[in-house]
Amino acid sequence: MYVEGAAQPGSRTNPERRAQGTIAPFQYLAIVAQLAVLTVLLRQFQIESGGFLRLALLTFAGFAVHAVLPLRSRLPFFLALSLGGIVLVMNVWNAAWIVTIGLMLVGLCHLPIAFRWRSALLIVAGVVLAAMRARWVPAPVSDAIWPILGSMFMFRTIVYMYDLSHASRPASAVSTLAYFFMLPNACFPLFPVVDSEAFKRNYFKTDAYRTYQRGIDWMVRGVIHLLLYRYIYYELALAPAEIISPAMLVQYLVTNFLLYLRVSGLFHLIVGMLYLFGFELPETHHRYLLAASFTDFWRRINIYWKDFMQKVFYYPAVFRLKSLGMTRAMVLGTLWVFAMTWALHAYQWFWLRGTMLLAPQDVLFWAILAVLVVINGLIELRHPPKRTLSGADQNWRRLLSRAARTYATFWVICIIWSFWTAESVTSWLSMWSALRGEYTIKVLLFPSLILAVIILGTFESHMPRGKGTLRLHSHTRDLAVTVASMLVLIAVSVEAISTQVGPQFATMITSLRSGRLSRLDVAKLERGYYENLLSVDQFNSQLWEVYSKRPETWLDVRGTALKRFTADFGQMELIPSFASQTNYGTVSINRWGMRDQDYSETPPQNTFRMAMLGASTVMGWGVGDGETFESLMEARLNHDGPRGRYSRYEILNFGVPGYQPPQDLVSVDKAMRFKPNAVIYVATGRELSRAADYLAEVVHKRIAIPYAPLAHVVAKAGLTADLDDVTAARQLLPYRGELLASTYGLIAARIRAGGATPVFVFLPQVQAGSWDEETPETLRIAAAAGFIVIDLSNVFAGQSIESIRLAEWDDHPNAKGHRLVADRLYDAISRRPDILPARGEHQLAHR
Amino acid sequence: MSDDIAAAVKGFILEQFLPGENPDELTPETPLITGGILDSIATLKLTMFLEERWGVALAAHETSPEHFDTISRIAQLVRSKRA
Repeated sequence: MYVEGAAQPGSRTNPERRAQGTIAPFQYLAIVAQLAVLTVLLRQFQIESGGFLRLALLTFAGFAVHAVLPLRSRLPFFLALSLGGIVLVMNVWNAAWIVTIGLMLVGLCHLPIAFRWRSALLIVAGVVLAAMRARWVPAPVSDAIWPILGSMFMFRTIVYMYDLSHASRPASAVSTLAYFFMLPNACFPLFPVVDSEAFKRNYFKTDAYRTYQRGIDWMVRGVIHLLLYRYIYYELALAPAEIISPAMLVQYLVTNFLLYLRVSGLFHLIVGMLYLFGFELPETHHRYLLAASFTDFWRRINIYWKDFMQKVFYYPAVFRLKSLGMTRAMVLGTLWVFAMTWALHAYQWFWLRGTMLLAPQDVLFWAILAVLVVINGLIELRHPPKRTLSGADQNWRRLLSRAARTYATFWVICIIWSFWTAESVTSWLSMWSALRGEYTIKVLLFPSLILAVIILGTFESHMPRGKGTLRLHSHTRDLAVTVASMLVLIAVSVEAISTQVGPQFATMITSLRSGRLSRLDVAKLERGYYENLLSVDQFNSQLWEVYSKRPETWLDVRGTALKRFTADFGQMELIPSFASQTNYGTVSINRWGMRDQDYSETPPQNTFRMAMLGASTVMGWGVGDGETFESLMEARLNHDGPRGRYSRYEILNFGVPGYQPPQDLVSVDKAMRFKPNAVIYVATGRELSRAADYLAEVVHKRIAIPYAPLAHVVAKAGLTADLDDVTAARQLLPYRGELLASTYGLIAARIRAGGATPVFVFLPQVQAGSWDEETPETLRIAAAAGFIVIDLSNVFAGQSIESIRLAEWDDHPNAKGHRLVADRLYDAISRRPDILPARGEHQLAHR
Repeated sequence: MSDDIAAAVKGFILEQFLPGENPDELTPETPLITGGILDSIATLKLTMFLEERWGVALAAHETSPEHFDTISRIAQLVRSKRA
């Protein structure tokens, strides 16, 4: 390596290059103005995270300074900005670790020893770091650094070492460090594999103004991709269990693939940002929906990955195998590339998520794609595709033929993509049973839309492009489109404007303005509280990004766990007579297995006793003893409650984390032993789906169902133990209402048989979401079952989410949330003489 | 000599990958790899042509855009191999 300045752009010995990177003042102002508008756009639509917005502000402000610096100062400035970005996003301590480990790795690349020994040392270092990542050895670092450190070094080190071994022109220290720590990476664990030679070669290669403008064009394109992704993610994406018709199957295939828009959107944002600093990198994707063959698809989607594979694996393999003949060498080289893609995909998964990816559908997906690309490659060898320098083709027959091939390629890709992202091979296979469903005109909707897009896109792609003046006008056109897009999007994000279009449009825009989890991912996150998070599958999963922020020891109980397994229908219970310190305070389980103070089995004289059933929110996940809404309400009743026959109030907390509605049948039987006057069943949303999921689980585990009405529903749904989750959920779908009604009916009947009053309390999630879809039917079923229904749906209204929930990855209410619930519930119940006896009134005596 | 090399390379590219294209449109500086004219299959065919025509041995890393993106760079590469 050598010191920056000797042979980099802007050298004093090269007057032309000194002029590189300079733009006129009005051009500078035009770029800065657009960046200001872009900032507003990013903020209006809450693109990505708060961390990204801060990084974007740093980037744009950095550009404003960078663009006026002398060329030789810009790369060091970019490096400083990049390091600052890491501190901004990751905090000082984590940034220090990332930079320290990174410098060590870069240092290993440049040790004055033979290349093979440097490679060996890098591998050893990688193994040690991997052991830390996997927690096989203790590491003095936060888990938060691994995805970012991994994304900076896991592939770039390979490319960098490859280039070092063949470098004709050594890189400067600043250039090397800027390459590894490049600015946008601090925010994006999923990052394009930027080629080190391209990074150097394309630095201020052409006109700076055009470079900066292209950066903005690409960032805006990225935002549009992300908004399209959001619309699909929130409104159109389906869970496999929901697919019951051919139309839904087609919708699933298309939308599941189009979720990839998040990756293409992010990559456009990332590379667009790099353009602001003079790095004129290639495009990351090129109209991948218009791929006319599988080789074409491979060349268009994630181009950086394709180039990386081609450079480091494909060409070396083919050149080595040339003696076998070019055709054989190419076939073997292609198979080698896909084998390495599968392996490196698993390698990437490890660094980003800390676990190994060993799924049969992952292996099969790459194998299938490899075979398809090989076949296409052999066809192309015999029949090379028509190329033109301009890309234009005005033969409409050829274009229609291309559109037809593109259409076919698209559907095959959608099908194998759905296989790749399926939870299991059996669940993917069971999904196709939807083809036996009812065929309606809706089955043509998505195929027609896709066909229209492909035909229009094919013809547009092959229109003759202008040269000279006409090309200049196309730059002006691109600028106009970029600016207009930003202004239109900002305009429609303003409620006063979007409502002018119509309420549905305004609602859609409002939903696109936040980066929340979809209804499907919220359901997965809830399940993730109680089980190892299942298939947090795709790399672009927002769910994974939320969940990956969760500390490993989040709310962990120190020492023994809170629950133990039982052999009955409930499967688990709290461990009696157990107390432990947790990260959120003391958790005390009394001798009866309730997270509560101790009580006698028989109520003391003149005591009004209530039992409370529910799951983790009732139990008080995330708050200490005495902070649960149950204990707060009990204290308030004893302080302020009506006096008459009863001088004392007790509320017994039977909440168990992870309990689903049918499991409360076990809880209610326990509760009735304590002779309560009233039993409060607390529901927290998604009761229908959670009840169905639980029945599917017990059937799968071959656990006996001791409740005849539930067993009857299960039999009607045709559930058997050998069904996969997706099929079981699909078969139960038409019976969810009946299942919940049976569950509630049984609970209410048991309560009344014990002489107590059944009360149903609906408690919302701390933030609004699609979980609420089931609420109206749930309330209706509860009322029909004979409960007194208290709907606390608006208990958190007016509160900011951050002030009442535990964390971004944990939507349980915190201590403040519990206080709000306690106050509202106290008010609601104390005004109900049918639940709580008023002063001077009497209730039925205990038996 | 380098003009002969460039002319031969140009002729090969036009014949194999751009049939019917106006030869004047293909200049010594037209981007071939970054411009999408040469994909991996075409690059390998061109490599074979260069090796057979001038008896040079190319390495895998020499198919990078640095050496292969334009006719002038390709000609320069062949010239350096023959020197």
